Amino acid sequence: MRIILLLLILLGFQKSISQELFVVTDPASNVPANSLAINAMQSLFKEKFEPGYNYHIMPEVTYGLNKSLMFRATAFVSNRNTSLVTEGGSVYTKYRFFSSDDLNSHFRLAAFGRYSFNNSDIHQEQIEIMGHNSGFETGIVATKLIKKVAISSSVSFEKALDNTSKNPFPNSLGNNATNYTLSFGKLMYPKKYTSYKQTNINLMVEFVGQTINENGKSYLDVVPAIQFIINSQARIDLAYRQELVTSMLRTAPNGVYFNLYYTFFNITK
Amino acid sequence: MKKAYNYLTILVFALFSLSNTYAQISKAEIRATGLTCSMCSNAINKQLKALPEVANVATDLNTNTFTVILNENTTISPATFKQSVEKAGFFIGSLVLTSKTTSIKNEKFIVVDAKTIASEEVTFQVLDKGYVTDKEYKKLSKSLKKLETYLANNEDDFHIKILN
Repeated sequence: MRIILLLLILLGFQKSISQELFVVTDPASNVPANSLAINAMQSLFKEKFEPGYNYHIMPEVTYGLNKSLMFRATAFVSNRNTSLVTEGGSVYTKYRFFSSDDLNSHFRLAAFGRYSFNNSDIHQEQIEIMGHNSGFETGIVATKLIKKVAISSSVSFEKALDNTSKNPFPNSLGNNATNYTLSFGKLMYPKKYTSYKQTNINLMVEFVGQTINENGKSYLDVVPAIQFIINSQARIDLAYRQELVTSMLRTAPNGVYFNLYYTFFNITK
Repeated sequence: MKKAYNYLTILVFALFSLSNTYAQISKAEIRATGLTCSMCSNAINKQLKALPEVANVATDLNTNTFTVILNENTTISPATFKQSVEKAGFFIGSLVLTSKTTSIKNEKFIVVDAKTIASEEVTFQVLDKGYVTDKEYKKLSKSLKKLETYLANNEDDFHIKILN
């Protein structure tokens, strides 16, 4: 908690310079056209009802088809069944439909959709199609960049389906939810750019919430993060997710993210 | 068959009219909008460097200004720079080009300030929509409202302001 407070204070008092490449929320901006990004997102979350940790690794490939449209494919690997097993995958697309840019600022809107499949057992009320549930999610995201401070917010509808016929979604649980996020990001270093080789350091705080539509059960998490941009091409995220309030059953709400990201520009001439 | 022939005519015409907007440009100074991060800037840098006409790109990361040096005797349309910046996910805030004076002396390049150019080389700013910030475009639409071609927003002509 102390770290979160410290980060919030730092964000509040530092003069602005920033970034919108958030850890949990994807901003309204897309990856560049004709670029390919590879990404390995790892998370280690502490189990609440049993000893040990739940580890996930999600390799991702992101492709920018043109300036407005991007696609992403993700594989879900986890240790939920003691050893590392590939449990599923997902496809994601985002379309930027509005953009108002000025010098050092922009406001953008995008619509996104994701479809995931997963064959693991269903073990909580929280619906999470990133590595836990089969299902789909669709929503919109708005991102504002003002003089280097980025603020992003999204609202989405998420519906869980059966995790194959072996693990059907329990009838007793609400199978669809509304998700909402609010993210703040700020570039702390460098104060003044000298070259592309300079490492950039971003600080971020994200608020991530969900309400199950059928019964109103909800949670709200905070995710403070530090991010390093290396050589203007690679990215390392280190984030911590902490549950603030919840009225639903979640088996491992708190933990850390470790994300590695690399962009290949202009893959075809 | 007739339909196909019509399409072919349109295509040939489109290619022909597009090629007219090409000018012998030696240098382009592009200021991009909508970004503050070096990774975003690098996306534009890489798009510009991938153009076969480009010899070198120098960037001022603090102002997001890209100075593009083109290969000798290259002809290129200002629209190519706009496409590159937009492919990276951003927009042009200002575009200043240096070219051979003779290569812009045609009806595709409309000089808005009626300056005559004596020198062999000319430096000019492109004033059309998509080549200036939205705010500047609104201002220009007022000050240039008598210019019908400016308000028409045709993509195959350019309105330019001579800077030298």
